[in-house]
Amino acid sequence: MWENRCKVAVSGVGYSKVTRSAEIPLAAHALTAVKEAVADSGLRLEDIDGLATYPELPATGHAEIDGISVVSVNCMMAMLKLPNLTWHIQVGTTNIGGAVQQAVNALLAGVCKYAVVWRAMHNPRGTYQNLPSGNAAGAAQFTAPYGFGGPGQGMAVAYTRWLERHGQNREKMATLAVTQRKHTQHNPHAFFHGVPLTREDYLNSRWIAYPFCLFDCDIPVQGAVAIVLTTADRARDLKPRPAYLAGYGQRLHFEVAGRIGSLSDYMLGGSSSAKLTWERSGFSPKDVDVAQIYDGFSASVIYGLESYGFCKEGEALDFIQDGRIELDGELPLNTFGGSLGTGRIHGLWHIIEGALQASGRAGSRQVKDANVSFVGASAPIVTGTTFIFVGEPY
Amino acid sequence: MSDWTKVTRPIPVPNQWTQPFWDAAKRRALELQRCQSCGHFQHPPYATCVQCVSTDLKFEPVGGKGTIYAYTIMYHTGDKRFASAVPYASIIVELDDAPGALLAGNLLGSRYTEAKVGRRVEVIFEELNDDITLPQFQLVR
Repeated sequence: MWENRCKVAVSGVGYSKVTRSAEIPLAAHALTAVKEAVADSGLRLEDIDGLATYPELPATGHAEIDGISVVSVNCMMAMLKLPNLTWHIQVGTTNIGGAVQQAVNALLAGVCKYAVVWRAMHNPRGTYQNLPSGNAAGAAQFTAPYGFGGPGQGMAVAYTRWLERHGQNREKMATLAVTQRKHTQHNPHAFFHGVPLTREDYLNSRWIAYPFCLFDCDIPVQGAVAIVLTTADRARDLKPRPAYLAGYGQRLHFEVAGRIGSLSDYMLGGSSSAKLTWERSGFSPKDVDVAQIYDGFSASVIYGLESYGFCKEGEALDFIQDGRIELDGELPLNTFGGSLGTGRIHGLWHIIEGALQASGRAGSRQVKDANVSFVGASAPIVTGTTFIFVGEPY
Repeated sequence: MSDWTKVTRPIPVPNQWTQPFWDAAKRRALELQRCQSCGHFQHPPYATCVQCVSTDLKFEPVGGKGTIYAYTIMYHTGDKRFASAVPYASIIVELDDAPGALLAGNLLGSRYTEAKVGRRVEVIFEELNDDITLPQFQLVR
């Protein structure tokens, strides 16, 4: 087991308003989320001495403008003018989960005391994919000429392979979409709060990229979320009950860029990250009380459940049936609604929910007696990270 | 069948590592990067052999027959250049001669519903301009 288990904790969490597209600058969303997270901890902004983020713009073909379409560490530093700042970082290889892990490492190293991590996501008005160029360079030279223009298609090809190799039926995914939307009704911050979804809605919805229909895809939105991380002893003196970090992992596998359709990229990415997390925490999948698994596209949940070890390969669509992923089920899943419910904010919201469930702060969606809380914070391919939070340090 | 006549495909921009692939395609031949040390074929081209990490790589001819490894049927018109062709099948092909190397393509000459994992396909070539010819696939008759 990891000698540093339960030595760092998530304390406060914060959210901005989530809107369908940009109405105010993205920096304003990030600022709201960060201030809320700091206030939730009962801290003042002057207490914050660490900053970390992953300032990526997922909408393809749009300009990266700091404060408008991304919110970098520099942008946050300029806005907050933190008098006691001692540490900051932006990450590249692991999406927002990597920024959280770097903050954990900085806290363990003693180079900061209270770190804030935020994820701000931009949805430009008009076309999400802005692909005016007549040329396809780099890895795209082998994909874009065939109409592979967005991430949905890259995920979809792996999903058809999974479905047809395992003789599975995509209609079973309706259970995931409907259950998560039910969970969303307990999350007032979510984009789809107040908007129900039925099985029939899912089965009758329009195709995006077969096997994905509309409700297999998270809706692009504009918004931001943030968390405060600190050492366990400091966290105990703050307002909220701490969610202790028991272990984390990151994917240790990468295949050639531009090679799409491969399932092994997902499975080996996920299993390598989860193995580190199980070993460091000392837990195994059967110990988990509640799980958040990244669901930017629904099939990511399949690869997560299987590669993390919750069920066997080819069985995930059966695993999620019969009430197992409901709030009172055997493995309550994406209890905040997931990205399918909140809108496309990437994995920091999964981490927030994992922490809230571990610390008993999830309100009307709280899973009874939840202690061991698992998070897969992005698709196991390319950027996968995994976490376990607990309410009771051990 | 998908109407490709009004589609403006993005034109591949070869670089020094991928130029031999496009040179071969222009001659209506398929050539993939092959490791001269362990014999492994790979695609897309890479700096090293993905199997044995050798840097001794050369492009060699491969046969054009293979199977559909994975596919998607595209309905969304996020990429407006392809709007007139929807729904269309974008497929990933594993060639008989190059296990593990995966080539993207469209399924041409058949309805998009004919795309299935494991179906046999063969390469055909679609000329985009004087410099670039695109490898594509059709079902083996």
